[in-house]
Amino acid sequence: MRIQIGEAAPDFTAEAFHGGGIREITLSQYRGQWVVLFFYVADFTFV
Amino acid sequence: MAAVAVKYPAFRELGAEVLAVSIDPADTHREWQEKELSRMVEGGTRFPMIADREGKVGSLYGVYDETNKVDLRAHFIVDPRGVVQALEVVAAPVGRNITEILRQLRALKRHEETGELMPCGWEPGKPALDRSVVSTSAGRIWEFWKPRNAF
Repeated sequence: MRIQIGEAAPDFTAEAFHGGGIREITLSQYRGQWVVLFFYVADFTFV
Repeated sequence: MAAVAVKYPAFRELGAEVLAVSIDPADTHREWQEKELSRMVEGGTRFPMIADREGKVGSLYGVYDETNKVDLRAHFIVDPRGVVQALEVVAAPVGRNITEILRQLRALKRHEETGELMPCGWEPGKPALDRSVVSTSAGRIWEFWKPRNAF
């Protein structure tokens, strides 16, 4: 499935490393601000 | 992601949050941060690094590579209502241009605030186009917008 411009960004909840700890984050918790999602291939590579 | 980390303050100034996503577990994100990123950028990555186990998030966005079991290099700009306003997918061997992504964000925000149209290469300080002028000027855009403005 490819996302189209103007579509709702699919919501998700996932574990994340942030601020020195690991916690769950949900995309929709950022509603009200702009979000840039950066997908990348793998840690320890040039990205 | 080190380049994104360098520019993170610029994203924050624009009121944007950055979320990084790869298939690595959160512990690997931590290790990368501690062993490498924090040596490349002061403070390392200060934004959440999502552990996309099994590529679930990548699959939702159509950027999960089933063959290699990794997320592709891609970015999505999501507006405050949760709507996708820009997207890009780049082949793995080629890095992206963070400055361009910031430019897109600035242009999207300016459009949202003013309704103006943001022409090719627009950056703050360059002319934006009035929507009503554009809609009544088919064939006469050349009179008030020059290609040199794009560069």
